[in-house]
Amino acid sequence: MIIETLLLSLIILSDTTATEPQHLDEVVVVSKGQGGRRSAKGQVASIDEHLKELKNVSLVRRGSYAWEPVVNNMAMERVSTTIDGMKIFYACTDKMDPVTSYVESSNLQSILLNSGLNGNPQATGNIGGSLDLKLRKAGFLYNPEWKIGADAGYESNGHLQVYGGEASYSSKSFYTNGGFFYRHADNYKEGGGREVSFSQFQKINAYDNFGFRLSPQDAIEGTFIFDRATNVGYPALNMDVAKAEAFITSLSYKRLWEERLVQSWETKVYYNHITHVMDDTTRPDVQIHMDMPGKSWTTGLYSLVRANKGAHELTVNYDLYYNRLFADMTMYPGGAAPMYMVTWPDVGTLNTGVALSDRIRLGSAHTLNISAKVAWQQQRLNNEEGYHALSVFFPGMQQQYHQTTGRIAANYQLSIHNSQLSVGAGWGSRAPTVTEAYGYYLNNTYDQYDYIGNPRLKNESAIEVNAGYQVSGSKFQVSGDVNAFFFSNYIIGQFEDRLSAMTVGAEGVKVYGNISHATIANFSLTSQWTIQPWLTWNTRLGYALGQDDEGESLPMISPFSYTTSLGVHFGRFNGKAEVQGNARQTRYGKKYGETETPAWTIVNLSANYQFSIHHSQLALRFGIENLFDKRYTTYADWCDIPQKGRNIYVNLSFEL
Amino acid sequence: MRLVFAAAVLVGLASCNSNDDFGAQNIEIPGITIDESDADCCSAEEALAVYNFLQTVKPIDGIDLVVDGQYKVNVYSRTGTLHTGYNDLYFVATKASTGNYIKFLDITNLTPLMFMSKMNMYHSTPTSSEVATSDINLVAVKHGWISFVMNTSDAGSWSLAFDAEVLKKKGSLEATTITVGALPEGQQWLKSFKVENDTYYLSLVNPTDWKTGTNTIKAYVSKKSNPITTPYALAAETFTVDIDPRMPDMGNHTSPNNTPLVKQEDGSYQGTINLTMTGLWRIHLKVKDNEGNVVAGGEEGSTLFWDVTI
Repeated sequence: MIIETLLLSLIILSDTTATEPQHLDEVVVVSKGQGGRRSAKGQVASIDEHLKELKNVSLVRRGSYAWEPVVNNMAMERVSTTIDGMKIFYACTDKMDPVTSYVESSNLQSILLNSGLNGNPQATGNIGGSLDLKLRKAGFLYNPEWKIGADAGYESNGHLQVYGGEASYSSKSFYTNGGFFYRHADNYKEGGGREVSFSQFQKINAYDNFGFRLSPQDAIEGTFIFDRATNVGYPALNMDVAKAEAFITSLSYKRLWEERLVQSWETKVYYNHITHVMDDTTRPDVQIHMDMPGKSWTTGLYSLVRANKGAHELTVNYDLYYNRLFADMTMYPGGAAPMYMVTWPDVGTLNTGVALSDRIRLGSAHTLNISAKVAWQQQRLNNEEGYHALSVFFPGMQQQYHQTTGRIAANYQLSIHNSQLSVGAGWGSRAPTVTEAYGYYLNNTYDQYDYIGNPRLKNESAIEVNAGYQVSGSKFQVSGDVNAFFFSNYIIGQFEDRLSAMTVGAEGVKVYGNISHATIANFSLTSQWTIQPWLTWNTRLGYALGQDDEGESLPMISPFSYTTSLGVHFGRFNGKAEVQGNARQTRYGKKYGETETPAWTIVNLSANYQFSIHHSQLALRFGIENLFDKRYTTYADWCDIPQKGRNIYVNLSFEL
Repeated sequence: MRLVFAAAVLVGLASCNSNDDFGAQNIEIPGITIDESDADCCSAEEALAVYNFLQTVKPIDGIDLVVDGQYKVNVYSRTGTLHTGYNDLYFVATKASTGNYIKFLDITNLTPLMFMSKMNMYHSTPTSSEVATSDINLVAVKHGWISFVMNTSDAGSWSLAFDAEVLKKKGSLEATTITVGALPEGQQWLKSFKVENDTYYLSLVNPTDWKTGTNTIKAYVSKKSNPITTPYALAAETFTVDIDPRMPDMGNHTSPNNTPLVKQEDGSYQGTINLTMTGLWRIHLKVKDNEGNVVAGGEEGSTLFWDVTI
């Protein structure tokens, strides 16, 4: 009986903490005390810095805070982001707040990335991929245990300060872990030492997870996260953010079985809301001051069953959510009456879907993964003023729309001796986002156009093919991956000369439209060579292509990129020297207002030392980013804002 | 216990329904005695409609007319005040004894007149050619309009006169001073243009009713009378008025799919205006004659525009 309970608690623990990576999927570990890939800055690193470690991910920067994750060269429209399976939607019409900005490293155990159409069960619209941010839960332990931990970090460039504290208690029938995190940064300096104005930020985060075990087989778990960023500068945009605040909560019931067809059944209900307030009052020379608040709230549930039968590992998931998005804009011309418009017309989206996945072991060397999802959604424009405003452009448009989307993906893996081959294919579709369907005069500082949504868009769909090959020896490992997405009805902003721009200084107006087809392809090559037991050489190369229906390059597609590093390992000391860079972006989306980005190369150094004093574990991390203080900007830097110049950081984590 | 609860629910349900089962109740209107046998006056339903309408408008102070010692004629506007540009006017006669509204009311010779003291000169302003029932459900309410070319000021003052006939009894409002206020900044609803020796006025109708989105834009084209003390009637000529709405505070942003004002059977001009947001809209005007020749507006820097702030 004792063994069984222990085992069960281990099962619960493992189920709530670590997720087994599937092929082509990547995991970056955020929390301490686990192996796997993670940022060199450890737990003090921001979510964005952790995401950077994933090979399919790049990040669009509009400032030094809240970067937008891009998966397989597809941005948020084509990527699903969930927090422990919970849907959450950003509240800023200018994408200043990707949902990854509303959690902190200390909230998370790991970030699971599913590349392409093979999404996690709760993902919808994930053509490019899906990110699931796994929350860190202390889990149940047979022997009660208290733990406390603290983190502190400092970075010279921008005087970034990070402080975090946490405490956890685990027993066989109850656990809780909670803490807080604080970040503060002033303006950073670009390479060469010039200060980048409006790049400051400040953030606090507090969280708690808890669980009650009702019986050896079932448990209730809950989560609260409160996250608030204030005074966030966005040097790439015309406005900053006074406040970006999120409240995220969930309650779930989980039941486990052993030696049964059904292994586990989890049902979660959740609620979250986001308030986002932009601010341009600190900017000099503002022609017209604007208030641009946005609100998003979401409530939903999912119910996930995992089953094992023979060679099959099956999951079935049902999910349902309702999201409301509202944003408006008030402009104050000096002396005259304020001007007002609704930029997201309080769109209510009711979405429900069923997902299935099956992992079939065909033999010792063969595995087949299949996943599929069908979802249906209804959208209603609840704000009359916004509806009537958009009707000017789309006379006779309805106040309510519905869409059906789906995806299916299969992947076959063959392992022979030291090599592993995988091939996969899939088809999936997505509904237009609220911005794409109903956005109203949303200014894009990237191409200086005002964007108007199009309620008559067709669903976008894509066929994905992918292949990967990996060879490993005793001292080396080389793997190559390629994937390609062939889109139909690709959604992108299209010039509309007949319309006049609203934003002062804008070039014109674009209206979202479907183009008949487009292609995005990604290539990557990674290698690891253990030269000596203490010396490792890692290399990662990437390249991508993006083309529209006329053969022109799509915007925001990565040029050839490379990272190569030498790592040393002596006892408790790890060190790494890294060279990172991009080639010149020769294929850039000229048609879409993109400009060429020159090549760049930087050198980073990092080191960490782990030791213990009495019973406490300490980790000291130190590093220099951009050692030679190069001034550079990447293709993903919005409006070519420069990256950080030389940055020396030191941080200390402590756990008792 | 359960039985008691069920009984309570039943009683509750029955009491909810009971109001519907006893036929129509008598209509009571504050201040009005309904005498269904009085054929001159409104029935209870008609009176209620008029009463409800009058809650949405206000009487203009200082205009008191009693006809035959027993009928009171009141003039209402939306706010109880008058302003530069187009004003809706509503005329209602009540029987002093009962307070009820009288269906048979004729208003004629509606005459606004300005006296410009410095120049010692009188002139009138665009005025509706008739005062009549405009809503079939409000037979006792007679509608007319005046579009004032200027506001009351040190330079001049306005007076108003009209004749009323209530149930064959005649009465007149002698020229009575009225106050015409100026429109606030960002509102200009009346503009004039000249074709040869004739002066025409473009009166924009109630633009404050507009909302973000697609709106009907309505206006009247009046012609200056000779002599100018006669109210200016609608122009007999037919024009087309092209509109180009712009937001001067937003880099002259404009909206798509606007349609020109064209003459309707009732003599008004109507078109479609699309407003993409609230704020100040400057509606540039281009007037074309019957043959499509531009007779006014349309040139760079033209002052032929309406300003509307919504």
